[in-house]
Amino acid sequence: MSESIGPTIRHASSAGSRPLLELRDLDTDIALRRGTVHALDGVSLEVAPGQTLGIVGESGSGKTMTALSIMGLLPSGGRVAGGQILFEGRDLRSLPPDEVRRIRGVRMGMVFQDPLTSLNPTMRIGAQVAEPLRVHERVGRAEARERAVEILRRVGMPRPERIVDSYPHELSGGMRQRVAIAMALVCSPSLLIADEPTTALDVTTQRQILELIDDLREEFGMAVILVTHDLGVIAGRADRVAVMYAGRVVETAATEQLFQAPRHRYTEALMRALPESAIRDSGGHDRLVSIPGLPPDLSGPLTGCRFAARCSFVSDDCRTTDPSLTPGAHQHACLHPVPTPAVAVTGPVPAQVEPAAVPAQVQPAAVQPAAKPATTAPAEVAELPVLSVRNLVKNYPVHGRGLLRRTAGQVSAVADVSFEVRPGETFGLVGESGCGKSTVGRLSVGLERPSAGQIVLDGTDLTDLTGRERRRMHRQVQLMFQDSYAAMNPRMRVDAILAEPLEIQKVGDNSERQARIATLLDQVGLSRRALERYPHEFSGGQLQRIGLARSLALHPRLIVGDEPVSALDVSIQAQVLNLMRDLQHELGLAYIFISHDLSVVDYMADRIGVMYLGKLVEIGPAREVVRAARHPYTQALVDAVPSITPDRAATRDGTTIRGELPSALDPPTGCRFRTRCPRAADICTTEPPLVGGLHQVACHLPLRPEPTGTPTPVQALG
Amino acid sequence: MARYLITRLGQALIVVVLVTVIAFLILHLLPGGAARATLGKEATLEQLAAFNHEMGYDRPLIQQYGMYVQRLLQGDLGYSYQLNQSVLEAIEQRLPKTMVLSLLSTLLAVVLAIPLGVLQAVRRNRWPDYAITALSLLAYATPIFFLGLMMIIVFSQVWPILPPEAPQGFTVAEVLADPAGLVLPTATLAIVTIAVYARYVRSSMIDNLNENYVRTARSKGLSERRVVLRHTLRNGLFPVITLLGMYLPALFSGALVVESLFNFPGMGQLFWQAALKRDFPILLGVTVIISIATVVGALIADLLYATVDPRVRLRGSAT
Amino acid sequence: MSTLSEAVGPAEPKDAPPRGLWRQGLIVFCENRLALVGLCLFVLLAGVCFLGPLVYQTDQVHTDLTAVHLAPGEQGHPLGTDGVGYDQLGRLMLGGQTSIIVGLAAGILATIVGTLLGAIAGFVGGWVDAAVMRVVDAMMSIPSLFLFMLLAAIVTPSVPMLILIIGAFAWLGPARLVRGEALTLRSREYVQAMRGMGGTGGRAVRRHIIPNAIGTVIVNATFQVADAILYVAYLSFLGLGVPPPAANWGGMLSDGLADTYSGHWWLLYPPGIAIILIVLAFNFIGDGLRDAFEVRLRRR
Repeated sequence: MSESIGPTIRHASSAGSRPLLELRDLDTDIALRRGTVHALDGVSLEVAPGQTLGIVGESGSGKTMTALSIMGLLPSGGRVAGGQILFEGRDLRSLPPDEVRRIRGVRMGMVFQDPLTSLNPTMRIGAQVAEPLRVHERVGRAEARERAVEILRRVGMPRPERIVDSYPHELSGGMRQRVAIAMALVCSPSLLIADEPTTALDVTTQRQILELIDDLREEFGMAVILVTHDLGVIAGRADRVAVMYAGRVVETAATEQLFQAPRHRYTEALMRALPESAIRDSGGHDRLVSIPGLPPDLSGPLTGCRFAARCSFVSDDCRTTDPSLTPGAHQHACLHPVPTPAVAVTGPVPAQVEPAAVPAQVQPAAVQPAAKPATTAPAEVAELPVLSVRNLVKNYPVHGRGLLRRTAGQVSAVADVSFEVRPGETFGLVGESGCGKSTVGRLSVGLERPSAGQIVLDGTDLTDLTGRERRRMHRQVQLMFQDSYAAMNPRMRVDAILAEPLEIQKVGDNSERQARIATLLDQVGLSRRALERYPHEFSGGQLQRIGLARSLALHPRLIVGDEPVSALDVSIQAQVLNLMRDLQHELGLAYIFISHDLSVVDYMADRIGVMYLGKLVEIGPAREVVRAARHPYTQALVDAVPSITPDRAATRDGTTIRGELPSALDPPTGCRFRTRCPRAADICTTEPPLVGGLHQVACHLPLRPEPTGTPTPVQALG
Repeated sequence: MARYLITRLGQALIVVVLVTVIAFLILHLLPGGAARATLGKEATLEQLAAFNHEMGYDRPLIQQYGMYVQRLLQGDLGYSYQLNQSVLEAIEQRLPKTMVLSLLSTLLAVVLAIPLGVLQAVRRNRWPDYAITALSLLAYATPIFFLGLMMIIVFSQVWPILPPEAPQGFTVAEVLADPAGLVLPTATLAIVTIAVYARYVRSSMIDNLNENYVRTARSKGLSERRVVLRHTLRNGLFPVITLLGMYLPALFSGALVVESLFNFPGMGQLFWQAALKRDFPILLGVTVIISIATVVGALIADLLYATVDPRVRLRGSAT
Repeated sequence: MSTLSEAVGPAEPKDAPPRGLWRQGLIVFCENRLALVGLCLFVLLAGVCFLGPLVYQTDQVHTDLTAVHLAPGEQGHPLGTDGVGYDQLGRLMLGGQTSIIVGLAAGILATIVGTLLGAIAGFVGGWVDAAVMRVVDAMMSIPSLFLFMLLAAIVTPSVPMLILIIGAFAWLGPARLVRGEALTLRSREYVQAMRGMGGTGGRAVRRHIIPNAIGTVIVNATFQVADAILYVAYLSFLGLGVPPPAANWGGMLSDGLADTYSGHWWLLYPPGIAIILIVLAFNFIGDGLRDAFEVRLRRR
């Protein structure tokens, strides 16, 4: 197919084979209403056949633009302004459009982020999957269908003969992503580009999909470009990694080398900003290393290192000299790189990830808060809990969709959940989408009323109170939203947004309110100038700060954070998590921290509750739940979490759960997890009670007994 | 699907009943009431009283409404003394002709508006888009009778190739036998419709072209033509089916003006003449019938939509 | 729009001082060239119609059968005279007053009625919503021109009556729109956040729903005005407009229709073009306003 070999091949990869794809000094511009964004600036990358290249970066780093430039799928206004895209030696930019289209359809395949919207809703699965065959290979209808069935079977689709005649909306997100992969692979391409293929999926599904891509890569002998914001996803999968920042590749190396000894200060900071790094390095709740500030605006001219403004190692040189990638196998563009560790990089040496000399300088501003006392259970049990939730049940009536409004049944969103939160404690609630964790949060702050059960706040049962009294009580508990932008009236200025809770609860007069607002801004580290601005003028991290400030306005004792950092980039996430922890110490707050991300919850929480399909399946001290899970589901969650720690990344053969989440309309009888549990037995058809001391589990066949020596709690729950 | 059908039919029925209530109330809001309206200004008080008693207009409103509906169900829409004809009969003669005009112009509009709208969406913010948008706006802002008159001036005066008057045939067959006469009224009514439809198709197509599935289709190396025709067009045109139903009231309003201008003996002209002569039985009868036609049309459009769009189709049968 | 640069210390926003949303909206509106054209057109037309007669005085009450059908320019009539000797330019000004007044008043009336009913349906929900919306459905299925003519046949149209008739039935569109808006806004997260702080439904309406729905309502109102002007024209054409000596553009245009064949083009085109211009003006203004209100929600 490709006899004409490209002019020259620079930096042949270590394997010595000719690169399948090579980008040379790629520049991509996006024309917007106001000016042009230089999304990519001199990006050079290469991928060898059969190799996986991971491209990692935060939002706006240009990782997705790189993928789209290769595929020629830039959004309107976007164009490749310079450089070469050499695919099998030929520059795609100089080939005629029809030829490029053919290459794109046959030799390359792409999988996109959002499986729910990436398929044509009114076309049958079979037709969509087989379309490249029909178009590029002129395959007949019957044969195309056969090959669609075959490829669907290979991506692990159950009953592919039937699926080909279905429409996308009949499938779950994970299944749709399998369809998307099948579609990309149907012409047996030599390059698969996966752009955040699992970001919209739950962790257990993510794991299945990533493994599938890995298996298929070997089977098809194709190269893979895996684009992601998640360092953990890359760690165990890619052969090489390219780290991007502000439209440039700042570091590229073999995966193992990069994770063990990053050279660029940005890469290093990014890795240290991960909650798992903090836990691994200190074994506890040290502050995260956050990266201050925001990435630069790519529409203006930039001089010097683009990371300089946020780097703790910055020197005057950095602001004036534009560093270029060093030659060699491990390239980086940093004037003050992390020194190469003296210790040979063999074997997993987690502690080496972060050289010893650094910490003192990293966060000069950060006053290390006194280490939180270890969860000394007996002392805390004596204290009255801030919030105590007992046998909470929430069912939603289900109406037939569309125009039919008849009641079709009930969704059991929360089923008999009990837990308590003690003063100053962080209670983590984890589970995958649809497990009911957000509903528990909304019930706790009184946004919804439970179908049954009690919510006891400071000794008062809220379910007994009338509306007005309940509202007053709810000053004690405030909600922090995932998307603070959506949770703020876009037509209100920040001062009005922050004053609103005070006005509603009739706290103080105008000047007192202004003073309170000023204090709040100080507490969350925003300047007074923010007051006169509107929500759309702030970045995600700043909005989260304002959201937190608003939750704090009424001096609550408990803040329920519903995925408060899930929409943020790692470096910004670290800023917000640190702030939340600082405020907790300062104000003695308790948190319910709801998240799908076990590593964040692990870092934040003192105790963790794990939910599955409306049930609390396990609850206990954070360390124990994560490191000595007793419920098979918890274990599966733990195993599925992508990690950058080499030993954890290596062992990925723990508990895997298969299949799909059952409908909450008709949950399985007995243990709700039994339909997907690898250990399920006959006894599981009866409902397991939540039993144990401090580390309770609702499982007939727990993975391990509760560690002996833990005292029985004073009052048994449930 | 069956359930959807039943619900939708139920809704349509409620709307029709409400329409009759509104018509009934208007009839009773008339100065002098229905009797005066029916018998005309010259009727004496005795005549009015006798008429009221005979028709039951001296009974309670609810009872009267019952009788009104009962008569309606029997096809009795009243009697026009001015035309000396039962209202039903008058409508029966005119309705088919209005339908011919409406259907022809809708057909013309759909056939032209879809390619125009698609062209606009594909060439978004370039000159074809601007040009069509400008013409659409102009068509929308022009009173339809002025537009019709321009057509007459251009095509029957300046460049006399078409008759300025619509066919005067008594039956549909006779009307259709004079296609030249139908051209101007149909085109006039269609032009405004095209403007509305093209705008709708444009925005629906643009919405769809921005969808992720289009990017997926492009990633398969499909030609732009195939992306638009095979992937976007179908999704973009489904909502147009609903628009066909929603646009019916405006279409009939337009037909009223066009029929009056071109002297086309349809429902609109019947209504117009009745309005000038204050012939209330005709006015109310036509209003009820035209509203029922609107409701039925919208119902058909919705059901059609439900049968062609797999998402709605499944939703109906799955629950 | 740029993002505040927030560093560890006090933030130093590098961009311009904060601007109010109204000003930002105004800037966007002015950037839309068509919207500006629309606004200028409206101001121009309204100015000519309402202020013009002060400068250019004509007798629009008494007919002058000695000066009938004068062509433009003859005997000091820049736009000629009509069939009863009224000066056409003066008549255009007078007619424009009626068209603009009826259009504005009816459009605003319809918007107010529709907004109130739609808001009630949306906020109260339940059977009130169902009842209001079914009535709206029913009335919408009656083609509006039929309804207007029916009413115009019952009552003799005068200017206030026309406003009432059109206003009383054009509210259906805004009602549907506002109801939909109320339903979406009610479920917005910021309204929920406010409820979480203990806020009442009244506060939700006052502080959150109305300020966010007002843009949609205002934009729709401009289109309502445009439609109302057209309806007046249609009613006049169909012989049910304001009776003479009052005038409106629609009526002048339909009178002009009769003169087409006699070559009195100055009786036909000026009112026709005037109607087209004013309807276009309101449509342009509406489009510009939509942009202006939307931009406030646009994030970065």
